Amino acid sequence: MHLVYLVLILCFNLSRILALESREQFDEELTLRPLRDGKLGARFLFTTLLKGATPRRPEALLTMTIHYTLFPLALGQVLREYAVTELHLTLNAGNWNYGQWGYPDEPGVGTGAELWAWMGDGAPITIDERWQGLRNALAGLFCASLGSLDEQRTTSPSLTFQPEGSLPDWTTAHQLRHATLPSEHVCTENLTPFLKLLPCKSLSGIARLLNPHKLFDADWHGLGVHVRYREGAGVEVRLAFQAVFDPVRYSHDKRRDWSLHSVFDRSIDKACPVARSSKVRVGLPKDRYMISPDPSVIDDRFATYLVGAAGEALDVAMQWPEEPAFQYLLASGAEPLTDISVRRTLKGSSQSQAQMALVITNNLPVQVQASYLETMPWLLQFYLHTLRAYVDGVSRDDLVSIISYSPPVPHSRPTLLQAILTLPPNNTLQLTMDVTKTFLRYTEHPPDAQRGWDLPPAVIIPFSFGELLSQNHSMPAAAGPALETRPRRIYTPVMLVDLATPDFSMPYNVIIMSCTLIALIFGSVFNLLTRKFVVVLVDEPASKVSPIESATCG
Amino acid sequence: MDEPPLLSRLSFESVLTRRYVVASYWLVVLFALPLWWSTTSIDRLSLPASRVHAQQRRNVIFPVHIHVNSTAISDVAPFIQEVQQRLKADTYTLQSSGIDARVSDRRLDSSAYDVVLSRGSRDPTVQDRRLFFDIYPEEDGLSWMTSVMRLTDTVTQLLAPYSTYSASTVRELRVMKYSPRYRLAFTLLNEDAASGNAAMSWNIKESISSETYFSILDRLSVLHNFTVESQVQFHAPLAFDPRTLRVNGTEEHGLTQEDLTVFINSAEWTLSSSVSNDPVIHFVLFVPSSSHSPLHILDYDGLRSRSNAFMLPQWGGIVLLDKSSSSHLTASDLDPAFTIFRYQLSTLLGLPDFRFACSRTKRASSQIGSSMRYCADAHWKTWRGVQKRWRASWAHAAASSSVAVALRHSSRALSLSSRAFFNPGMLALLYFPAEHKYAVYTPLFASIAAPLVAAVVREVLAWRRSRKQRRAEKIADARPVEPERRKVD
Repeated sequence: MHLVYLVLILCFNLSRILALESREQFDEELTLRPLRDGKLGARFLFTTLLKGATPRRPEALLTMTIHYTLFPLALGQVLREYAVTELHLTLNAGNWNYGQWGYPDEPGVGTGAELWAWMGDGAPITIDERWQGLRNALAGLFCASLGSLDEQRTTSPSLTFQPEGSLPDWTTAHQLRHATLPSEHVCTENLTPFLKLLPCKSLSGIARLLNPHKLFDADWHGLGVHVRYREGAGVEVRLAFQAVFDPVRYSHDKRRDWSLHSVFDRSIDKACPVARSSKVRVGLPKDRYMISPDPSVIDDRFATYLVGAAGEALDVAMQWPEEPAFQYLLASGAEPLTDISVRRTLKGSSQSQAQMALVITNNLPVQVQASYLETMPWLLQFYLHTLRAYVDGVSRDDLVSIISYSPPVPHSRPTLLQAILTLPPNNTLQLTMDVTKTFLRYTEHPPDAQRGWDLPPAVIIPFSFGELLSQNHSMPAAAGPALETRPRRIYTPVMLVDLATPDFSMPYNVIIMSCTLIALIFGSVFNLLTRKFVVVLVDEPASKVSPIESATCG
Repeated sequence: MDEPPLLSRLSFESVLTRRYVVASYWLVVLFALPLWWSTTSIDRLSLPASRVHAQQRRNVIFPVHIHVNSTAISDVAPFIQEVQQRLKADTYTLQSSGIDARVSDRRLDSSAYDVVLSRGSRDPTVQDRRLFFDIYPEEDGLSWMTSVMRLTDTVTQLLAPYSTYSASTVRELRVMKYSPRYRLAFTLLNEDAASGNAAMSWNIKESISSETYFSILDRLSVLHNFTVESQVQFHAPLAFDPRTLRVNGTEEHGLTQEDLTVFINSAEWTLSSSVSNDPVIHFVLFVPSSSHSPLHILDYDGLRSRSNAFMLPQWGGIVLLDKSSSSHLTASDLDPAFTIFRYQLSTLLGLPDFRFACSRTKRASSQIGSSMRYCADAHWKTWRGVQKRWRASWAHAAASSSVAVALRHSSRALSLSSRAFFNPGMLALLYFPAEHKYAVYTPLFASIAAPLVAAVVREVLAWRRSRKQRRAEKIADARPVEPERRKVD
């Protein structure tokens, strides 16, 4: 037994020495895009690939040793412990403005926390137990209240959240778990553990720019952790941080000129020694601009800088010398940047009834199919029979086909509604549905009950552009890249629902009131029973005082 | 107040009835008290605490057989007898460690320790469970007696190393608390990999599985389960600046003894993952940045110490790497560091330096004790399931004669009790504020208690007055003349 072990170790070491340098690789990239409303989109992407690794089979025993060089150990342990094949965690603050900013570089931009994972079945511990453990482990790792993503928020919308990597070909099936917590806020305490997962922390490489003072001042910011298994390559961890800065706000003369130093208050002074590649890509605007220093590579869309190539601190700057002050575009005149635009609202002033409206505009000249997902906590319950679709005021119920609907179970399970919408070309589809607001138990209200409840964003994925490829239509500017890659998710903004909130001092009032009543009744009965009654004889017949008068002897 | 005239008395008015009414109210209150008590008190399930404490007071005695292999000496019986007598007489060291040593020249069981006697003057050496001991070649009484005493001393030291050292308490403080599972977290820590002097990777798999290191884990597998994790960190800034020294014209850097206490920068270094609650033993191989290289440890006099490693009690060990020759550390580069790590591990686990001693049995007894204390000392509510299982394992542990079986059961009892302790439901029970209860009770109880108490006070006063009056009447009856006379006046 011992000999076998030694032989195994020996064989393994031989192979390890050969593949030593390339077993784990780390790449980092910063993408900066000037946006058309004068803002600056930034996306930090840190990719670590564990070559040749496979996700742990759920039924397999935990190995006793785990050795990582670049791969984040804290995250690796969590993945291994709960046998997670694919994991996506995003923590975002603010609403992503699709109209002005286009598609984000990282698709997960739903407000608040979103966690979804694909896990293999067949372990002695069920998927739901592992999902709970995963939630708690990540909550501890990222100091976020992910522990409250419990079964009241967990669904399995496998149509919308397809695995981004590949699922290993095991005998048992994989299952999806998805939960959102729109009221979660992102702050420094989430960024610090995020930075600790990076091999170079925030001390060298492009992570040097992750300065919390500036990042959390941004108009929109969010971090994401994405783990996937790539068949033939290994397990890949992508740590992403996205932010939208407003250089116009920072500058004193309303110009949109920016530099790394003005936006992040830092420059890249040291290269991360273990990064295989370390790039800064700057998206090039259509109008006249100046960029400094000279990029290493430039094409018509991006200027690329290789960090560490120059040997000195890298401080990219972009200027619009011909522009005295930035002119904001009028919203109506702007060409849409996404294939479809979505708006979702909750109407109605009553505390028990409301109407949810979804307005989807197809910006393409072709008919588009889109999947529509609602994962609504049981706080809001749909009357599915009232679902109506209108195009130009004409009822078009044929455009909606329900794929799956699981009704909510009060106090335990959320609603899951997945539908396929057919969007007519260059037109707007309006969906309305009556909803009822539930009446919560006294203890179910959050500490700031008057604020209302955040409802998770709906997710729309336009997916079938069939005719577009055959016809040669002129397309909106940003639609091109959309077609190159996989279908992209579009998140609607979150909604706030105002549920009937009780007067929280009421139970105490009731207690005091009933206690007073009981005390009164008790007191008078007790008094009657123990009081001493005497007959007082009155001599004067003229007196009108009653002959019997009570007197206590105390 | 005057007693009302007889005529004014009402038919239903009677002192006795009133007193019955008051008494019956109080009776109801008194009978309700136990019900109130039982419904509001916290339910605590009992554990066999007294049995545990009794068990703890019992001294665990481990019989140890020492087989004296005496081919070199002709007449060994008196020698053995003398050693045995001296070991028996040494009540302090051996018996306080719970060791009952038996010396004989016949092999009693396979687990006996061997003492190989020969004549000569070499120092005693230990190999596994064998002690090679030289007795003086001279045959006179003095050297014979000295040999006996020396052997007794050596054996005592080997069997009970802690109790013979004056610094035993210091040593015990270093030892990690017992746990059935430990995580060994190895970290190759570069102070600043971007500055040049750095080790980018290490061949830790080979170093851990090497004979020297792996064997100790294998040997301890009866007591503990080890999981091993390792990582490389490329940026680990120190929280302080090491002292700069000039030695022979070159600049060197030193860590003072005070620096060592704050060396670990827990705010910035993540040295282990937090996936489980098992205690972690940290091993850190620290590579100083080029601006802090070479880095040495200074002794209390500010002079460079020969050692480049130190240990933090109950936490782990740190080795400073002098200079990394290449960016990849091979197993042979790591050899010196891992020899130190191995030593540090055995110290942190409380293993004696010699394998001769019965460390296993010692650990067993301490573990059983700690498991029992853990459960019995805390008066918390245990889960019913845990209570049942804990009782079962404890019973096994207490009853089983085999050390290994007792060990297994007591370790199970320990993990069950810790699970009970960390049950989130415990919190609400332990921290239920009494103020809440009173806030709800007082509006009702205070307002009801007032007339009840007042009625009692009133009745007592009335009863005392009537008694006084009766006494006064009695006196009046005894001397009936006087009032008559007064009346006449």
